[in-house]
Amino acid sequence: MSKRAVDAVFQALFLLSDVRFLLRETAPGHDLDEGQKERAAKTLEKVKRQVAILEEELVR
Amino acid sequence: MKCAIDIESRDVEEMYINIDPIQAGGRLTVDAMKAAIAYGDGYSVCDNCLSPFRLDYIKKPPIAQFHADLAAWLNMDTARVVPGARRGFQAVASTYVEKGDPVIVTALAHYTEFVAVEEAGGIPREIPKDAKNHITPDAAAEKIEAVIREFSKTPPLLFIDHVDYQFGNVHDVAGIIKVAHQYDIPVLVNGAYSVGIMPVDGKALGADFVVGSGHKSMAAPAPSGLLATTNEHAQRVFRTTQAKGDVTGRTFGIKEVEMMGCTLMGVTVVGMMASFPHIQERVKHWDTEVAHSQTVVDALLSIEGTKVLSDNPRQHTLTRIDTRESFDTVAQQHKKRGYFLSSELKKRGITGVIPGSTRVWKYNTFGLTEKQIRHVGESFVEIARENGLNIV
Repeated sequence: MSKRAVDAVFQALFLLSDVRFLLRETAPGHDLDEGQKERAAKTLEKVKRQVAILEEELVR
Repeated sequence: MKCAIDIESRDVEEMYINIDPIQAGGRLTVDAMKAAIAYGDGYSVCDNCLSPFRLDYIKKPPIAQFHADLAAWLNMDTARVVPGARRGFQAVASTYVEKGDPVIVTALAHYTEFVAVEEAGGIPREIPKDAKNHITPDAAAEKIEAVIREFSKTPPLLFIDHVDYQFGNVHDVAGIIKVAHQYDIPVLVNGAYSVGIMPVDGKALGADFVVGSGHKSMAAPAPSGLLATTNEHAQRVFRTTQAKGDVTGRTFGIKEVEMMGCTLMGVTVVGMMASFPHIQERVKHWDTEVAHSQTVVDALLSIEGTKVLSDNPRQHTLTRIDTRESFDTVAQQHKKRGYFLSSELKKRGITGVIPGSTRVWKYNTFGLTEKQIRHVGESFVEIARENGLNIV
């Protein structure tokens, strides 16, 4: 049982939901202002960390 | 992109500004999206359902507390979640209406109120709207008198839509309830277009029942809604089952008859709960939503020949517009006929106007950002100008 992997899946999906919401807020052009770009960058960085955890737990 | 066999992923909200009249208030909050991911399984909220085994008693996730919070937020005594506003109408009509009873609705009532009355065996009678598309206390009094004369009995129930679905007008619900109560008629307030998007105080209105729609105005998955009432009515509408099996002798504890035992499970109730803090906050910014609505109305009215059929100045984000003397004149000459408007809007990233509509149509600006509101207003004007209409 890998609770760490399960948590990472949820965390990644939740973070991607934040990105999805950003796409909604900025539709139709998706022209992000500086604050939104910063938010997106931070969120995507966190997604990468969760994916790394999943690789550690499930693949390596 | 498909999310399953033969099911396309829905990306309307991500790709477009959606001004569909019924979809605006039901768009999920980000927390509801997350809750939907975690609680998609059928009986997911029932992991910790303990005796006495009823949905509104579940403490983890905090569904019991949510019920109490919903009632307090609406300034009512008790609330239940239901699978859509219509199920709230059904529960109340089924409790109060006997076969052959007259029930007062209005000329602007949603069809599901009629259906709820019909199912209970009642006979709907409509309060007419006035020239300004309002239901007034005077008209309510006249209709109640007329119905009592016709049926030789007092109607057991009156339905009034806080905000009607046809014009998005806000009605004098408190005044109408005051009139109904003079005849001892309990009143159900249909808050499908108010609960969750604008402030609603059930006690201040004098409501006996407040019904809200989760998927229309509370940023929740469908089908979801709520029925709130006062202590006076709670025992009756939320009565528990007395049924007993003649063979097995089984009884069914505290299951409520009108709720069919338990109501919302899984993603619907958890979605409502996840959005609840957001909707408590967003109703405080109703003035901004109304100002946004006005911005778009003003843009449309700058197109010569356009009329707004809803109240103006606007008091709501749902608006009915008449473009028979503007966009429809273009449609008559255009190769795409009436489809030109929705097509032009789509090119600009806007959707939600029924394709082909250029005569009388509705839209809803609820929940759009300032930038999106500007884009919608400017797009209407640009489309008008490009098609030879005068901007005044």
